[in-house]
Formats: sequence, structure tokens, C-alpha cells
Amino acid sequence: MPTLTIDNQTITVPEGTNVLEAARQLGIEVPHFCHHEALGSVGACRLCAVEFLEGPVKGIQMSCMVLAKDDMVIDTGSDGVLAYRAQVIEWLMTNHPHDCPVCDEGGECQLQDMTVAGGHGVRRYTGPKRTYQNQDLGPFIAHEMNRCIQCYRCVRTYQEYCGGKDFGVMGTRQRLYFGRFSDGPLESPFSGNLVDVCPTGVLTDKTYRYKSRIWDLQEAPSICPHCSLGCAVIPGARYQELQRRRARTNRRTNGHFICDRGRFGYGYVNHPDRPRAPLLGHRRVTWQEALAALQNHLHEFCELYGSGSISMLSSSRASLETQFLTKRWANALGSGQLCFEAHPRRDQAARVAASQAPDCSASMEDIRSCDMAVLVGADPLAEAPMLALALRQAARRGARIVVVDPRPVELPIDCERHAAAPEELPRILQGLTRPQQNAFASASEEFGGALGRALLEAKNPVLIGGSDLLGPQGCQMLLKAAEACSPTGSTCRSMLLLAGPNSFGGAMLSDDGPGFDALLEGMEQGRIKSLVCIEADPVADYPDRKRCRAALARLDLLVVFDCAATATVQEADLFFPTTALEEAAGTLVNNEGRMQAFEKVFSAGTPLLQSAAGDHPPRFFSRDIPGSHPQPAWTTLARLLGRDAELEKVRRELEKIDPRFDGLAGLTADSEGCRVVAPRQAPALVAAPASGVTASDQLHLLVTEHLYGSELLSDLSPCLQAVKSDPYVWLHPQDVARLKLVEGKPVRLCTSLGEWTLELRINGDISPGVAVVPRLRGTVVETLVPGSEPMLCRIEKA
Amino acid sequence: MATLLSEKQIAQLKRRVKETPHPREMVLDVLHAIQDANGWVSDEGVELAAIVLGLSSLQVEEIATFYDKIYRRPVGRKVIHVCDSICCWSRGSEAIMLRLQQLLAIAPGETTADGMFTLLPTCCLGACGEAPALRIGRTLYGGVEPEQLEAILDKERAEVES
Amino acid sequence: MRSCEPLLFKNRRAEGPVFLEGYRKNGGYQGLEKALRGMSPADVREEVKASGLRGRGGAGFPTGVKWSFFPSDDAGEKYLVCNGDEMEPGTFKDRQLLLADPHHLLEGIIISCYALGIGTAYIFLRDAYRECAGNLERAIDEAAQAGLLGDDILGSGFSCEIHVHRSAGRYICGEETALLNSLEGLRPNPRSKPPFPAIKGLFGRPTALNNIETLANIPHIVTGGAAWYKSLALTEQGAGTKLYGLAGHLETPCCVEAPIGMPLGELIRDFGGGVWKNRSFKACLPGGASTPYLTAEHLDVALDYEPLEQVGTRLGTGGVVVFDDRTCMVAATLNLLRFFARESCGWCTPCRDGLPLVCWLLERLERGEGTREDLTMLQEQLSHINGRSFCALALGAMGPVDGLLRHFAEEVEDHIRMGRCPLQD
Ligand SMILES: Cc1cc2nc3c(=O)[nH]c(=O)nc-3n(C[C@H](O)[C@H](O)[C@H](O)COP(=O)(O)O)c2cc1C
Ligand code: SF4
Ligand code: FES
Repeated sequence: MPTLTIDNQTITVPEGTNVLEAARQLGIEVPHFCHHEALGSVGACRLCAVEFLEGPVKGIQMSCMVLAKDDMVIDTGSDGVLAYRAQVIEWLMTNHPHDCPVCDEGGECQLQDMTVAGGHGVRRYTGPKRTYQNQDLGPFIAHEMNRCIQCYRCVRTYQEYCGGKDFGVMGTRQRLYFGRFSDGPLESPFSGNLVDVCPTGVLTDKTYRYKSRIWDLQEAPSICPHCSLGCAVIPGARYQELQRRRARTNRRTNGHFICDRGRFGYGYVNHPDRPRAPLLGHRRVTWQEALAALQNHLHEFCELYGSGSISMLSSSRASLETQFLTKRWANALGSGQLCFEAHPRRDQAARVAASQAPDCSASMEDIRSCDMAVLVGADPLAEAPMLALALRQAARRGARIVVVDPRPVELPIDCERHAAAPEELPRILQGLTRPQQNAFASASEEFGGALGRALLEAKNPVLIGGSDLLGPQGCQMLLKAAEACSPTGSTCRSMLLLAGPNSFGGAMLSDDGPGFDALLEGMEQGRIKSLVCIEADPVADYPDRKRCRAALARLDLLVVFDCAATATVQEADLFFPTTALEEAAGTLVNNEGRMQAFEKVFSAGTPLLQSAAGDHPPRFFSRDIPGSHPQPAWTTLARLLGRDAELEKVRRELEKIDPRFDGLAGLTADSEGCRVVAPRQAPALVAAPASGVTASDQLHLLVTEHLYGSELLSDLSPCLQAVKSDPYVWLHPQDVARLKLVEGKPVRLCTSLGEWTLELRINGDISPGVAVVPRLRGTVVETLVPGSEPMLCRIEKA
Repeated sequence: MATLLSEKQIAQLKRRVKETPHPREMVLDVLHAIQDANGWVSDEGVELAAIVLGLSSLQVEEIATFYDKIYRRPVGRKVIHVCDSICCWSRGSEAIMLRLQQLLAIAPGETTADGMFTLLPTCCLGACGEAPALRIGRTLYGGVEPEQLEAILDKERAEVES
Repeated sequence: MRSCEPLLFKNRRAEGPVFLEGYRKNGGYQGLEKALRGMSPADVREEVKASGLRGRGGAGFPTGVKWSFFPSDDAGEKYLVCNGDEMEPGTFKDRQLLLADPHHLLEGIIISCYALGIGTAYIFLRDAYRECAGNLERAIDEAAQAGLLGDDILGSGFSCEIHVHRSAGRYICGEETALLNSLEGLRPNPRSKPPFPAIKGLFGRPTALNNIETLANIPHIVTGGAAWYKSLALTEQGAGTKLYGLAGHLETPCCVEAPIGMPLGELIRDFGGGVWKNRSFKACLPGGASTPYLTAEHLDVALDYEPLEQVGTRLGTGGVVVFDDRTCMVAATLNLLRFFARESCGWCTPCRDGLPLVCWLLERLERGEGTREDLTMLQEQLSHINGRSFCALALGAMGPVDGLLRHFAEEVEDHIRMGRCPLQD
């Protein structure tokens, strides 16, 4: 551990720390462009010079390239250093177009900052500047090559960190070109990170183009709501419009980056169809009227049918505070008919995940630093995109990555793939739980056993499962397997991918409460007369849409609180608009059990561009901000419970009632969050029905998530429509031949839930006997829900 | 695309790529093969190389555009490389370049209308002892005087035509 | 005229290259036999270290010392890479050697591989040297046929293979780590050091990297012994002979082999035939395009590493480029800098953006548009580029600028004062 002196302050740093990082630990920011914490040092920009006065290195050197050593005495701001840095800026600015007024990076431009800080105020070079033609990089990223300062951060991010192969650097000397081979959309699902890493205005967010300067944006630390990983983000809003999202740094979760679903999924907040006023039937009413109606009705039901006639459903989209107050409200009304997930299998799986010992669950950082990862039935890019990136970092450090899946799981790395049939997964998991065993009953178990032995030998192994494919039983087995594969003295950590950003929180609060199936039965039998959906969309999320619709139709009262025009909202008797995640504060518990607080970014309101409708002067006037009716669900619940809508109080109460949430009240949004301290009880599970392909023309239907188009909120984002696929089914070439189908030609998918025509795609990586269909909202297959019980189907020529 | 190289050549290159433990190592060999057969490497050439090497087109382009002796634009039947480095400069390479421009009626970087010659400046050819030097196709000419250029061009042209 | 026995050029004939038969007739492969039959690898390394041989690729690092960092005992894959990029203007010695006598290099490579426990060697050749590549490929075939290359060389149990790699232009490929990237099929930007190639080089494995001329010296050190080799130099501290390229304004430009330590003036007079057209000597680059100029007052300086350093320049590649009294040194420097700016790999800012700025300043000066401020700016470039670039290309590029400002300050001033180039009428 070398000790060195930087600007008269002494610091001891771990071996291998470079001087730039050592200075940063002292709070001294040495100016730089090419260095990036996640990308490391490459010594290209040559801006980070400091002067070494004493010690093994002397003179002006690049601080990112020199490792801290004992006895170094360093001046980061000597005259020589300052003069040199000003020169570097002058060099970089020789070809710069000086177009800051029209540049989207203005105000948050590292080059601008450095130019000012470096004292380069007068242009001495008066020669010609080189210019470039830009490329169309697709719907997400704008390209302005003339502003490039050749720091190589984009290529290093795109190729090295993210594993993309279609964006890079071409040419040499002063004529470098950072772009694609030819115009076309960037292929990497992490392309948006180019916006964050580019220190100038070359690569900017196209969806945010010409919208705002950073100082006009309302920003706050937030969490991405588009999967269960809970990546840290910073949304930015102006004129009541959420205009962008960028990555925030959380070293335990996402690190420095986010995926494109997270970055560009923000548009749901501004969706023109978003319901923004309370509705009684189809009539707009005031909050008072709506609340009075709600209270009257519920009162009436209690009187007439007893409190058991009232049921409540929340979801993994709801904040922990909302879920908690929903539970309090149900208690207050005396109803035990409450659950937090409309999809029973997902509900059970989340309850299993929440029974995992907190110190055995893997964070994303654990995955980045693991030396072996086994994925069973987990498709990171579809179910939790940033997991794919974390695995890539592990692989770059030499980790062994094994994917066991019936689907063609794509990862931005080379990995070992085993196309296991769905019914093999439990047997493989079975094997994994007995790594030490000598003889196994089946080849699948033996394979699992071999994997288990490898995990036992690894130093930092992780076992990753997808709850949709594994189901609750599989999840439970996976947790057991992780325990069995933990070598003495260390742990094989595990990670389960869940349905939504707060599945874990809901599962914790569910304890052994009923599932939605039970609620549906109650409705069907007429016991349950009313359902209050709090940010839940059972119509779309319950695997059997027909059954759900029919049950809801029997209700006397369907109440829905939501911020999106969901399928369930269409059926509501009484509707309350809620705020979007960015419009209120709250807490989410991600799939590893990490509680993370988020702050309010801006107040709900119709975006100015929509409310003004292009008319001047506006033809209407109103006393409040248009579209500002949505309220955070939890504040409404607090009102219904007759108490203060104070977030602090709610958090303190939950922490007090339930010590598993210890730390919640002290949580701040810009922290790394903290894990729940104790697991919930492991749920008692009913054995899954055994399924087998009976007739030879039948296939296993696997409905799966898709990177774009499956998740509710991001699918409402207009800019993601451009990258959404048309519905298709994936088959193995063997099955295609057997069923005499032709690639590219439409086929007919026949299931017990219905029949649809889709495009046929062939993939040799999938398990034979399986038909994989991604759920794509708003298409013919939107009623197919991932994570359902295994189902059989037939595929025939359309 | 396949016409850029014969089936046999492609198969041969693919085999070599498969045999080497580091396929990327072959990227210049593949580009050279395509350039030797076609005079230059077109976009399709880059795409072909990418297929042969199992890389993306961009990954091949990153390499192809680094080297100045991989031509990513069409060139004439023969490329004239006139050394403009210090030794040749000191012994009259500027006059050579000017004379060639007159004789061919093109500027550096251009190709003659008949598609015969492309004129390019180049850095040191390793022929400093024979300065000023130039290279036409594979032939090196040293100690060149501007007056000799017409004859040299005629000879080179005749070679192609015969 | 001093007589000196050539070593590397001993088989150089006007008629053309010498191949295996001729090479062997004149003592070829005796070094290899001696090494394989009578010396352990460590003996060979010791001998080379004692010989005082310094790298001929430009940096002049003692070869034996470099080899001593090499993990010869590492059991895994190890490589030797021979640097034949030779693209620095004024440098054409390696080509001359390969045109005359390709086996000379092969013998040097095989002995070096033996000394370092290496089984695979690559010769990295620049694109323009197709003829040399042809010679080498023929020589490799001959050597393999003769049992001098391949498996179990001369029955010694030692095996080694040699591959020729053809590059496609770009001076930066001569920088050793850029060369490794180029060989691997990556963009030839230099790598950061440490780790040095000896520890982590080609494909991440230990790699010995030497210049063609350096390796061609090895057989002679083995046959003649370190003491004899060292004694060939004319200077106390020097060792061996050197291939000098003589170019520029000389009567008889040529490439010659002469002892290390030959005085500059003598070399120019005896081999270069003196300055052409009966003009007088104004300046020269003593060792290729990246070495600061010497002037008439330096004609007595010995062409060896230390003496040249003492007068503020370097032996570099040994490419002496002479300028007569009618040369404008601003124009010459501009020509050199245009080369370097054009060959920058584009990785680091001082080189990529600094060198074009230097060119722009020199252009202004040369055109007579330069001002005092431009001169100040040029001086700033010198101090800010030197030592601040990622690799040595930009450092080398500033060599001539350094020489210009040190030795020809007055001539530069004249450009500003007169508003035109004083040497153009
Ligand atoms: C820009 C640059 C170009 C170089 N070009 C060559 C070259 O063409 N040939 C060569 O042998 N060394 C060249 N070198 C030096 C090599 O990096 C390296 O020092 C040398 O090959 C080592 O061999 P040696 O110790 O035998 O000299 C170059 C160095 C730099 C910085
Ligand atoms: S000095 Fe920098 S830009 Fe120049 S060649 Fe070296 S690394 Fe490349
Ligand atoms: S300077 Fe022209 S060949 Fe060397």
C-alpha cells in the first residue's frame, strides 16, 4: 500500500492505483478525457499531466499512466503543468467547429469545461479545419463528428465494455472517424451509453435533441423501472415533459452504464394517451368526488357483504411505500384479500426469491467480479439487460460463463451454451444440488452435477436463474443448488431475475397471503365484489386473459389506480390517476433485495408541447397546471387511511413494524441502497404438474420476454417502437423440417388460448421440440404472457 | 461479392483462418489477396474479408483504413507512388511530381481518364540511396530525372497493353 | 581511406543476392553450428551481452541487456519478432542487407531463438519490400531443406520456424508494440509499457523484438567472440560495425558498412563522395529522420551512441542525410514534419494534433508569413510535445525541430525579418 503526497496532502492507496485515481480519492480532480473509471486508463488524450517532484518518477507525466508509489511528491497544478494542459486544449480545439450554441452537449460538455478551465481563450491557429460527414446511427444516437476530440472513449465503451461490433474507429492520424461501416442503426442494446461517455457533442441522445440545456432540466437521482435490476438513473424533465434519462453511478448495481431499454424507455411518462384525471365510469370527476365515491362504495360493500368482499391487487411497479400502505389499508378495512402480483407463478417465484438469505444473493458487482457464472433458464438481454453487460465484464476477466437454456440466449460474449429442453431444467438443477454425488439417475442430472463441481472449485461463483422459465419450484431448487455449490469458507451466490422493479418488495410484504388465483376464484364465486388495482394490470398480466376478464366482469366495482392507459384501466368503474415513477419519491427493492430510494424529479403535468396544442394564444385557460391531477398512489392511500402523506413517516413505520426493512428510513437516493436484512419465510409450494409432449406434432410453447416490446412502460415509449420486432416464433431446424415449414413464411400457432399467425424464424441454438414466442405488446400475441405454466402448441403452415 | 476472389481462393483463405489459433492475424493477408486480385478493396471486398475472417465489416474496416497501401478507393491499373520524403525531396522529388502531373494531366490522388495510372505521394520507399525514387506497380525506379518520366510511363503502359 | 572488413555486407555482390550455397561458402551458418554444438543458450546470451551490441532499430538499447529481461525458461509459447518495417526516411540499410544476403538474417534469428528458447519467429516486413520478402521466402525454404530450420536443427534437438509477414504501409508499425498489434490483426496503435513485450508481447506471450541489422550481427558475435566483436569499433565504448545509409546532397549516395565510431566527416568524404556539385556541407541528419541535425562544426564527431548524445543528437538508424549550403532548413524541417504528421497513428493528442500544428507554423515561416508569435508558439510546441506523447514517434518528430531551433535560429529569424525564405531567389 504505497503512501504518496499530492498537493501537500498525504494518502495511502491500494497497490495498483494510478496517480489520477489517488488524487481523486483526495478530492483532487485531475483534468482528463480518455480515462474513465469503468474503462480504465489508456493514456491517449495526454491531458492528465501532473508534475512529479520527488520519488521514483520525475517531471511532468500523465497521472493516469503512472502507478502510485511510495515517496512520490506530486503537484497537480504547477506552472509547467498548467501551461502544458492549456496546450493540449489548444491542440484539441484546432479542428473544433466552435458550434457550442447549437450543440446539445452545451453546459454539460467536458471539452467546454476543460477549455474554460485550461485558460485556452484565444484561438491562435487560423488555418483550415478538417470536416466530416455524419452518419445516421438509428433512432437513439445523433452523430456530429466535427466535434470529435478523439478520446476513444466511445469505441472502448461500445466494443470493449459492451461487446458491440458495429461501431468503431477508422482511419489514422488527424483523420480518424468514429462510426459504423455504413449508415444504419447501432446494433448493441447498450448503444445509449455512448451519450454518457462521449465528453463532447459528437454522440448525443437523439430523442433529446434540441430540447434543453442541462441547467433548464429538473433532475434527481432515480431508479430505472423497466426490469428487476434497479439500475441507477438520472431522469431529466422540462416543461412538464420527461425529456431524457441518463445513467447514474451505483458501483454495487449498474456501475456506470444502463441499457437502451432503460435509457429510452422514459416516454411512457409523456404518453399522450396517459389518463390524467379521475374518472367515474367515463365521466371526468374531481378528486373529491372520486374519493367520496370510493369510500361510499367500499363502506357499502363492508356493510352488505363483509370486508372479505373487498380485494386488492398491487404490482411490482408500485413503490414499497405504496405496497405497504395498500397492505395497511386492506388491514384497516379488515380484508385479507390482498396480493402484489397478478401473475400467480411470478408471484410465487418472487416469494421464493425473497426467502433467499441476503448475504447469499448476488449483486451486479458480484457478477462483474465472479469467476464462474451458470445461467439456468435466464435470458439476460430479454429479462434484465444490464445483467448481460455484467457477465461480459466477468468474461473479460476470464470468468467461465455457462448458459443452460432451451432458448437461443444471446449474450455479448462467447460462452458455453447447452440447449436443454424445458423439462430437463429441473433435472439439471437437481444435479446441481448434489455436486458431490457419484452416480446420477439421468444425463441431465449428471450434467448438473458436473457444473456443480466446477462451481465448487471456483473462487467467486454465481448461479443465476430466470423465474419465468424456472417457476417457483425451479427457483427454490436453484437457491438450494447455490447452497450446495458453496465451497467451505465462501459462498456460491445466486441471483433470480424477477418480473418487475419491486417484485421483491411485494413478495416480502405478501408473506403467506393469498395469490391472485384465489382472488379470482372469489370473484368467480361471487364472494368478492370489488377489486382495487393499485398500479396493477391484471388483464394483461394474468396468463389467462379470458378468465381474468370474465371474473372482473362479475365484480360490482373495479377501481384502478395507474399512470398508464392499461387494459385494466379500460374496464375500470372508478379510476385514479397516479404519478409516474419520476413524478414522486419512493423506494424499490430490486431482485437482490436491495432497497433503493428514488426522488421526485418533477411534478406531473401535461407536457407543454401537448397542452399548448400548437395554438397561439392558447384557446383555453385553467387555474391549475394542465394534466397535474395524478397523485402518488401512496399519498392517496394515506388520505384514505386518514393520516399525513409524509414519506419519512411511512418508511419509519414500515421499518418499525417489520425489522427486515431495517435501514429504510435512513436511505438516501444517491446512496448505493441497502439490502433487506432477513429473508421472508420460504413459501410452501405445490408441485408443478408434470408436462410432456404427447402427440408428435405438439411442441412446448415458451412465451418469453423480449428486449423491447414486453415490458409495459418502456413499450409505451414512442422511440422504442422503431426497434420493436414483429411477432415471430423460433423453431429448431429439425422441427421445421419435420413439420415441413419454410423459413420466412408465416405460420399458424395453435394453443388452448387461441390461434395466431406469425413469422417463422429458425435457430439452431434452441432446444428441439420447443417453440419460442416472445411476448410483444400491441401485437397479435399480446395475450401470451411469459412465465406461465408449461403449455403445448401446434405450429402449422398458415 | 464472390467474384472478388475465386471460390478456390476463398476456400483456401477460410481454411487458413480456421487453422490458425488467432484468426485475426490473417486480416492483412485476406485484404492483400482481395487487393491483388482486384487492384483495390471495395466495400464488398471489406464485407467479403469480414465473412472469411468471421469478423464484422466494421472490424475489418478499422484495419483496412489504417494502412495506406490498402486502397479503399478505386485505383488505376498501376499506382505510381512518388516518394516525397526527405532524401528524395532533397534531390528533386517535387519536380518529379510536377512533371508527372503534367504528363498524366491529373493531380495527386487522381486516376487518369483511361484508368491506367493513379498518382499518389508516398513516404520513404527505402530507396534513399537512389533518390529521387518512385514506384510504379511493383517496379522501383531510382535516380529518376524528370526528362526520363515520359519513357518510363510509355514502358509501363506498354507492359499493361501487351 | 580507412580499410575495413565488412561483416554483414561481406556477401554483397553487384550481381545480386547470395543464397545458401554462396552464404555457406563464405562461412555462413558456422555461428549456428558453433552455438548449437558447443554453447548453451545461456552461453550465447552471455556472449551477446559481453559484446556490447546495441539495437540497430533506432533506440540503441543494449541487446544483451534486453535479452536478460526475457523469460527464456518460461515453458509456454514464446516468440521472436524481427522488425523489418524500416520506414523512417533516410533509412534503407535493412533492405540492402536482405537484397544482398537473406540467410544472414535467418542465421541470426535461429541463433537468437536458440539463445532465448523460442520456437516461432516472425519477420515483419514493410509492404514495399516485396523483393526482400521473396528472397527471405526462398532462403527459408533452402534452410529448411538443409536442416538448418524446422524440427531438430542440425540434430541438436532444437526446433524453430520462421514466418514472413507482409505489412501494408505505416511507419508506426515499426514501433515495437504497434508492430505487435499489427501482427495480431489489431489496429497498430502502440501499447502502453509496462508490460514490456519481453513479458507480455505477441498474443500475450513473451516476445523478443529486434531489428534486422541487430539480429544479423549475432552470428558474428558467436563465431568471433565478444572481445573481437567489441574491438571492431573505433571508439573505446563502442562495439562492432554499423550499416550507414548515406543520402541527400552527396556525390555518391550509398549504403555502407563501417566500424562504429567512424567520424562523420570521414564517412561523408570517403563513401559519400563528399557534398554534391562542389557545394559545401550545411547540415545533416546523423541517424534518420528523427535525429536532431548536426552542422559543419560536428564533422569530427564519432558516429557512436555516446558521442552523438553529447552533441545533442542520436545515432538512430545510422541513416545520414546530408544538406548542402543551398538548403533552407525550415523547408527541410517542414518536409520531415509533414512525414511525421502524416504517419501519426492518431492515438495521442500531442502527436495527432500537435504535429499538424507544427507543420502549419513551419509553413507560415517558410512562406514568409511567420511572426514572432509563431516562433514562440513553435518553441512551445517543442517543449510541450517532447516527452509527453504516448510513444516515441512524436518525440522523434520533434528531433529536427529541436535541431532547427538550436542550430539555425538565425535562419528562422531571417524568414520572419525578410518576410520570405532567404534561400529562395
Ligand atoms: C515510430 C517508431 C518507428 C520505428 N520503426 C522501426 C523500424 O522500422 N525498424 C526497427 O527495427 N525499429 C523501429 N523502431 C524501434 C523499435 O521500436 C524497437 O526499438 C526496435 O525494433 C528494437 O530492436 P533493436 O533493439 O534491435 O533496435 C521504431 C520506433 C518508433 C518509436
Ligand atoms: S506519439 Fe501518439 S499518436 Fe503518435 S504514433 Fe505514438 S501513440 Fe500514435
Ligand atoms: S527519402 Fe525517399 S526513399 Fe527514402
